[in-house]
Amino acid sequence: MAPRLEIKGLSKFFPGVRALDDVSMSVEGGEIRALLGENGAGKSTLGKIVAGVYSRNKGSILVDGAETADLDEKAAGDLGIGIVHQEGSLVPQLSVAENIFAGRQPTQWLGQVDVRAMRDRARVLIAQLGVAIDPALKVSTLSPAQSQIVEIAKALSRDLRILILDEPTAALTLTETEKLFDVVRRLAANGVSVIYVSHRLAEIFALCHSVTVLKDGRLAGTRSVTETSTDELIRLMVGRDVHFSRAAAGRKIGDIVLEAENVDAPPLVRSASITVRSGEIVCLAGLIGSGRSEFCEAIFGARRRRGGSIRIGSKPIDPRGPWDGKHAGIGMVPEDRKAAGLFLGMDIVNNVAATVLSKVSSGANFSNRKAEALAKNFVNELRIATPSVRQIVGNLSGGNQQKVLLAKWLAMEPRLLIVDEPTRGVDVGARSEIYRLLRALADKGVALLVVSSDLPEVLALADRIVVMAEGRTVGELPGDGASEEQVLRLATRYTASVAEVRKEPGMAEA
Amino acid sequence: MQITQPMAENAEHRRENLFVRIVRRLADSRELTLFVLVIALALAMSIVYPNNFPTASNMRAVLLNLAPVGILVCGMMLLMIGGTFDLSVGSTLAFSGVWAAVVAGWWGWPAEVAVLVGILVGALCGLVNGLIVTRIGINALIATLGTLTIYRSLTYVTAGTGVTPITDAFAEYGRAADPLLRIQSPFWAMLVLVLVGGWLVARTRFFRQFYFIGGNPRAAQLSGIRVDRLILIGFVIMGALAGLAGVLGAARLNSAVVNAGVGIELKVITATVLGGASLKGGEGTILGGILGVLFIALIENAMIINAIGVFWQGLVVGLVLLFAVSLDRFKTSGRA
Repeated sequence: MAPRLEIKGLSKFFPGVRALDDVSMSVEGGEIRALLGENGAGKSTLGKIVAGVYSRNKGSILVDGAETADLDEKAAGDLGIGIVHQEGSLVPQLSVAENIFAGRQPTQWLGQVDVRAMRDRARVLIAQLGVAIDPALKVSTLSPAQSQIVEIAKALSRDLRILILDEPTAALTLTETEKLFDVVRRLAANGVSVIYVSHRLAEIFALCHSVTVLKDGRLAGTRSVTETSTDELIRLMVGRDVHFSRAAAGRKIGDIVLEAENVDAPPLVRSASITVRSGEIVCLAGLIGSGRSEFCEAIFGARRRRGGSIRIGSKPIDPRGPWDGKHAGIGMVPEDRKAAGLFLGMDIVNNVAATVLSKVSSGANFSNRKAEALAKNFVNELRIATPSVRQIVGNLSGGNQQKVLLAKWLAMEPRLLIVDEPTRGVDVGARSEIYRLLRALADKGVALLVVSSDLPEVLALADRIVVMAEGRTVGELPGDGASEEQVLRLATRYTASVAEVRKEPGMAEA
Repeated sequence: MQITQPMAENAEHRRENLFVRIVRRLADSRELTLFVLVIALALAMSIVYPNNFPTASNMRAVLLNLAPVGILVCGMMLLMIGGTFDLSVGSTLAFSGVWAAVVAGWWGWPAEVAVLVGILVGALCGLVNGLIVTRIGINALIATLGTLTIYRSLTYVTAGTGVTPITDAFAEYGRAADPLLRIQSPFWAMLVLVLVGGWLVARTRFFRQFYFIGGNPRAAQLSGIRVDRLILIGFVIMGALAGLAGVLGAARLNSAVVNAGVGIELKVITATVLGGASLKGGEGTILGGILGVLFIALIENAMIINAIGVFWQGLVVGLVLLFAVSLDRFKTSGRA
């Protein structure tokens, strides 16, 4: 029997870039296939071509043995190919049911939408996924995980044969991810082929049957998950072995730079305390939603604080805005580099100058010469790959953007640098460079507070690990010799006990 | 991979023909585009209408007429660079002019005081706009649409049908002309503002912050830039400039008209966008803005001399605006 999906010699060119080069693969019915690769390896492009979002330049796509003509989104949908996009494609102001049947709502006489029929059918679809979401709810009221499930239900509203999931867990918590996996497994058990685009290796081993790795738009290999290992997959992705080993000890850890006590910033931060010393890298670990970023924002002044004290070098500060934090010598590299970190439409020079306008000025005059010199320094020092310092930052790759973002904060020479998710959306090669940079900063005596959801990263970087749960700092581990299990146990044990405590009043009512 | 992209484009560049290269060069700098258009239009008019267009009196009229829009463009450009704008400028202009006239004409206060009062009233209107936008958090379109009608209404309430005449001493502020070129004061006020404002916005650290705010307000905030405070200051500057334009306009006519500046906000925004501002913010220069004003003024003048009729003006200005903005598609360094 022909495979569910067969791709032969697929190529796709964008102006100046060869996104896919002669890629072939085939997926059976009921198979969950991971599509793995660094950023820019072409995995999303491949998914989008199969779903008809992009057209192909060369190659053929066969569904159940039948050759497909040029696909567009509608043709792909008619063939039973559905895609759940990375960024989501739901209209938040409309109801779940309307989103599921967008443009194809069941109608009564005169083309009137049959709301009741639409909701009933939506409810049935969602129930097939093993969850319950009221189809009358507005999408804006749903959690990210629920939205993903609605997107899948939307794909399911047609006769679904192939489902493409493009980094679906990026915004999900651990429990939500588990729920999503259940849904995906259930679909596969019903014979749907799933293409799961991701760069989270752990997820691939937990969910998928097989994995296809792309590198620079070419096929690097296909493996069954039972016959491969993390190391092999990383080697396929980057073409070399990468180890995030801990740096040799021997850094001088000095005086206390940051001392935050019982910081209270509702609703997400209840009572958090931390100290960071000069030359020390402290990692703040915890589950998504545990209040880590919010705690950092409160220290920096980007979030209103209700109580607690913050001292920088034994001097109490009361930051009312980011400018106060900056004035006290704190720098903060935010998690969302595009929305909150960089000026994507501006060049490297201006991005680097944004935090140090007074430093690159002569009197009241902004000095282009000084700003350019500063930017050139950082381009060399951080090895930012760019044709010139006048390059628009939006045109750089993720890893280089992240370096520009770091440069922006290094320019002000902070005493304390807070880095929220230092390597989110950064490929493996640039990662180890960013680790090297952060260690070099600590060597120079900067106090570093790093928020990370990536446990191998935490274990590789941290001199000390502070764990948060439910808005509180719940435990501390030395970085050396800590294990992922220890961190997770701290992060989840507390959550579980809180959940139990909460259950009690409910039980009393019953 | 992404790094090779610009290089590949450069290679293509060399192969492009002259025409495409000219288009690209023009597209890269809106100021240059406008400058070329202004010169071309002026030359064409001088050749076709040597007796009507390049005369001292015609030039004087053109420059004097563009003065109020030119003054307002300085403020509007600043706001638009910061990613916001003010629709209430026409009403602010009338309200300020009327208050200056009331102080000078009805209360008999000295002309200097009246001028100051007019500018202060304008600044106050701007302050209210800025507070609504930054403190209450209503978006600028709705906030200033609201104050547009409020300020206009307050103008009627204050002065009914207007104040005519005001006083000769006050009128002198809008009529004084230099001995050499004999152009009246509104033009000179505009020229000073354009030069000083152009330098401030292009060169100084303080005003540079507006580009960051317009480029990405959240990133600007997290970079330690006081976004709300600066936007508030931008609105106050805009209001004060509208106040000045209103005072000079009233003085030149020796009459404060309650309908002064109706519809001027769209003219100003048209010129600002033509001059290189974007509704998203982060782009534009005062020089570009004033070239936009100059270009629109020349087109209007050309239509009058041609006797084509005022009905066609809007068509031409609209087409030029769409043409200039569509040039952006040819920019060499676009966003990814």
